[in-house]
Amino acid sequence: MKLELGIIPINDIQFGAESKVENGTIYVNADELRALILEDEDLKSVEFDIARPGESVRIMPVKDVIEPRVKVSGEGAMFPGIISKVAPVGSGRTNVLRGSAVVTTGKIVGFQEGIIDMTGEGAKYTPFSKLNNLVVVCEPVDGLAKHAHEKAVRMAGLKAADYIGKLAKDIVAEEIETYETVSVKEGIEKWPNLPRVAYVLMLQSQGLMHDTYVYGVDAKQSLSTIIMPTEIMDGAIISGNCVSACDKNTTYHHLNNPVIKDLFAQHGKTINFVGVIITNENVYLADKMRSSDWSAKLCEWLGVDGAIVSQEGFGNPDTDLIMNCKKIEGKGVKTVIITDEYAGRDGLSQSLADADAAANAVVTGGNANMVIHLPKLDKVIGYPEVADIIAGGFDGSLQADGSIVAELQVITGATNEMGFNQLSAR
Amino acid sequence: MYKIITNNQLCLVKYGDQIPVEFLEGKSYMDVLLAVRDYIQKGWRLETHPMTGSLKPNQTPYKSIMVSNLPVDREEFYQQEVTIENGITACKKFQSIRQTPDWPEHLREDFRIVDLSLIEGAIQKIL
Repeated sequence: MKLELGIIPINDIQFGAESKVENGTIYVNADELRALILEDEDLKSVEFDIARPGESVRIMPVKDVIEPRVKVSGEGAMFPGIISKVAPVGSGRTNVLRGSAVVTTGKIVGFQEGIIDMTGEGAKYTPFSKLNNLVVVCEPVDGLAKHAHEKAVRMAGLKAADYIGKLAKDIVAEEIETYETVSVKEGIEKWPNLPRVAYVLMLQSQGLMHDTYVYGVDAKQSLSTIIMPTEIMDGAIISGNCVSACDKNTTYHHLNNPVIKDLFAQHGKTINFVGVIITNENVYLADKMRSSDWSAKLCEWLGVDGAIVSQEGFGNPDTDLIMNCKKIEGKGVKTVIITDEYAGRDGLSQSLADADAAANAVVTGGNANMVIHLPKLDKVIGYPEVADIIAGGFDGSLQADGSIVAELQVITGATNEMGFNQLSAR
Repeated sequence: MYKIITNNQLCLVKYGDQIPVEFLEGKSYMDVLLAVRDYIQKGWRLETHPMTGSLKPNQTPYKSIMVSNLPVDREEFYQQEVTIENGITACKKFQSIRQTPDWPEHLREDFRIVDLSLIEGAIQKIL
């Protein structure tokens, strides 16, 4: 399966009378987009705002971040099984409005998390400070149940990203990135001497605000399976996970999975990137056993020599991570696992809730308990009142000068466990 | 037989007449972990992970955990003892950084709703 990504660089977003993409700027007719999103009767109102790199703007709380894309050719359309009908995606060409994002904010629960600072100290820790963001602020109808509220905000973000992506359908991109996965048989014939490597992508799947969807299927309900990496680039996996801002994978992370990107960069050169195994992180221990048994079995069956395993989230996913690692290593397949850490503010505490001697090759996304100082910014988009919860009540404290002392875990994407973040030991 | 150990009244209200619930009224997240450890050490089987959800042990006041009296072999006994001890250690680690705030009722209700959703994934498998 071969996919071309047509990269269309975006430098700005503006509101305008006509929605279009022109000379690197996205123009959005807010009334038209609002009408589209308010087709959902669970939403009472929708407001939009724009946050650009370098502006003194804080977006808070953040539910999801989505990159606008559109399929130009090939089967299916973006976000199959959710926005578009079920159809196999991942082939043909997809245009990408690179440098832009849709950010949803919705106070689904009072303790909603996630901060994106567009400037200052906090901006260093999130990749989304570098993007031109259209922020979607949704207000639900009165008395809406939490599950319905979460779904409404999730769908609003995807619809907005899809609407904006479609503005680029007829643009001929100058820069093309090409990604191809061949059949197992062809891969063995083409690269008989290269080490075979699979990527085991663990998906959050625990319940309200902790879910992921694959072609519209709740990952909680799925057995471990294989998926083409390019299907993920076309939105086959979307995020319903919005707890633990620093290490939840936004839909943007799924679309731009850096492990997939780096494996493709080495594909056919130093390794044979065989494909992606997706597995879940259920609360029921028997499910954890089944899913990790299955991932290990798929690694063995695909005849891989090595597997990269990335987890999502905090706490019990550490157990899934170690189970996957142990069992895959038990099949004679070398693993490297990617995680983040909660090592206490001094970095001296045990980082994970689980461990095993087999996990001897670990890449960390950083220590989420690290304390940072966020400056006072001029504008907050979203729900400023959560600052008292994030700032004073739990994650940090509001200083007299309006700045915030908080743990790194409050910043969206700060310790991302695909490695899509800014922290490094270099 | 399955049992839920919880300090979340929503769990008791919704499932109390379908599955045995040990309700630790007014007790803490740590109290739930310690009660579950007692069950494990008496030979009960751990059915859900003690650290469900991404809410931190010094953030959410509520925790629901499922156990059963199904057989446990020696290796499993060791594994689940390590699992609950790791959960207790993690809870202590977070509490030493900052204790769980005394949240207002509307936030407590939100935390109860999320905790219920997390344990429901397991309850639905055994009912």
